[in-house]
Amino acid sequence: MLAKMQYEIRQALHDQGIVFCYSGYMTETILTGLGQAIKQKLTMEATDAKTIRGVFSVFVEQMQNVIRYSAEREPEPREERAATKESVLSYGLLTVGQEEGAYYVNCGNKIEIKDVARLDAQLSTIRDMDRLELKALYKQILKGEVPEGSKGAGVGFVDIARKATRPIEFDFIELDAQYAFFALKAYI
Amino acid sequence: MNNIRIEATERSPEIDFNFEKNHFAMRGESYPEDVPAFFGPHLDALEQHLAGLSDGTVTFVFEMIYFNSTSAKVVMKLFDLLEETAERGVSVTVNWRYEEDDDNMEELGEEFGEDLEEATFKLVPVSD
Repeated sequence: MLAKMQYEIRQALHDQGIVFCYSGYMTETILTGLGQAIKQKLTMEATDAKTIRGVFSVFVEQMQNVIRYSAEREPEPREERAATKESVLSYGLLTVGQEEGAYYVNCGNKIEIKDVARLDAQLSTIRDMDRLELKALYKQILKGEVPEGSKGAGVGFVDIARKATRPIEFDFIELDAQYAFFALKAYI
Repeated sequence: MNNIRIEATERSPEIDFNFEKNHFAMRGESYPEDVPAFFGPHLDALEQHLAGLSDGTVTFVFEMIYFNSTSAKVVMKLFDLLEETAERGVSVTVNWRYEEDDDNMEELGEEFGEDLEEATFKLVPVSD
């Protein structure tokens, strides 16, 4: 029974082309370890250097988003949004896989319902931008010309969109009165 | 000012700041857990040192393999500092070294470099 249950989970992931899956509390140490393994696996598959760098880069930004912003964390979220180091564990789900010949990094975490509209607007803006617009926005944010919380701000998302070879995909589902689940997928 | 020499780790770059020779370099990968804590003191030391210069020659070498978006803010800050120094009459050269097949790092170099007007910017492809 045990093996059957675990194998079914493994097979379900495998059937979707998922090479890596991590669901649980994410920390910077886990980021380091998973990152190493992902690089190693892609290198073994003789993936070209550019793709490896792209996958790794999107992986780092996705993991750091969860670590900093997941609403599912221990201890309970506090007013300030950025995680105070070590003491906080953030829950998220990360998958790296292959689909139609391209790699993707897909990441999901709980967010507060009140943040859905802002995030949706931000990511829609980024998704609809072309490469030149993304480049311009990236620099504006780095220079501090785009106020935090304004449309498109969030340099990590812009970076993901720039590394992605297709428009980013994302959506939300409502979980209850307080929380929604958010997922973001980027193909490289 | 004492020179700064910090070895690279898996997640943080080598920092090599020689204040006597005015040779500065940053090499490797950069996605430290706490970007402000890692870079803060070194950036402050560099800023203070550069503010005291009004002539002479300054060289800054970037040889990055990867940096995350938070570290990109630090790179931008360094470029701003170097340009301000050049505006005061110091001869500043920025060498952006990248692996020759790394289009992304080349493109990032071009993007940061295009803002430099007074400082000299050089894109330097490096073969393995």
